Amino acid sequence: MPFVTVRHFTEDDIPTRTALLRESRFQANLTDFAVVSADDALTANQRRTIEREHAVKRMFTLCGSGGGTVGFAWITSIDWPGQTCELSFGVLPECRGRYGAAAVAAAHAHIRAELNMRVVVNQVLEHNTMLVPAELLSEQRRVRCAYDSYTVGEWRTACYWTESEQDVARQREQAAQRRRAIADRIRTASASPLPS
Amino acid sequence: MADLSLLGTAEAAARLSAAPQTARGFLGLDPVTQNAALLARELTRTGAQVLSADGVLLGYAPNSVQPRQGWVATTSADPAPLAALLDFLRTYRRCTSYVAEVPEGAPAVAALEACGFTGAGRLPGHVFHSGGYHDVLVYSATQEG
Repeated sequence: MPFVTVRHFTEDDIPTRTALLRESRFQANLTDFAVVSADDALTANQRRTIEREHAVKRMFTLCGSGGGTVGFAWITSIDWPGQTCELSFGVLPECRGRYGAAAVAAAHAHIRAELNMRVVVNQVLEHNTMLVPAELLSEQRRVRCAYDSYTVGEWRTACYWTESEQDVARQREQAAQRRRAIADRIRTASASPLPS
Repeated sequence: MADLSLLGTAEAAARLSAAPQTARGFLGLDPVTQNAALLARELTRTGAQVLSADGVLLGYAPNSVQPRQGWVATTSADPAPLAALLDFLRTYRRCTSYVAEVPEGAPAVAALEACGFTGAGRLPGHVFHSGGYHDVLVYSATQEG
């Protein structure tokens, strides 16, 4: 998995994120409000978040190994004492295949390790398999909400689920088990005599 | 004595943002989790001032209920810039006592001890970062005023 780092979203990032908000798959998969918003309104909205909305919303820039921007993450519905928030993503079209999964993992890790969030609420529209495969979406969702959003001329069904500290620990253990199983298979194959 | 340069709030926030790991805990701020705008707002809220000396950032915030006590911070283990700040505060702010809160293991500990600060206590699990709660050390110093 490629290495992705998380930094504060800055004014210099606004043009790139504004373009992403208007990208066709982003509109269908998250929200299409940017299509009916003027440039200056979108800029003012993002600047307000940078300057004044720290208590209720935070935006982050996700960077690849060379430091270039691969996408953005933002948290909303923040309950600081309750240590919960909703996490959203937008990965640049050209980076989705290579960086999508790593970007999601990096954002989750950052808000847990640095912002002390314990429960993260995920919402993904059901047709959107850009960052979460359909099988995983079906397995993880706890609530399936029809008519949740209307984007690009269609009603969309949303899947909701939470990720707690226990969920993260269980996922880490499952990943470690998979790594151990692969290592065992490699060791076994290496120890076997070559066919003559 | 190191030359001190007083920074404006926006520049101070930008300089702290540029060194997020070094500046963690500086006057209770955290540039890893607070962007430049929030750092500037917090500096304003606490009446803090940030100074620079030979590339080292120094901080001062007044104690509103004890006007001759200053809350201080430094990003360096070098005692010379901190000594210059204490001299500046004694001369221009009539400070006679100082308090510092530093993360355990921070470079500032060496500078504080070299400038006569003594450990006054430990705040267990006082800050959260890097996936866990961490202790904060409290140092204090007094000067004849």
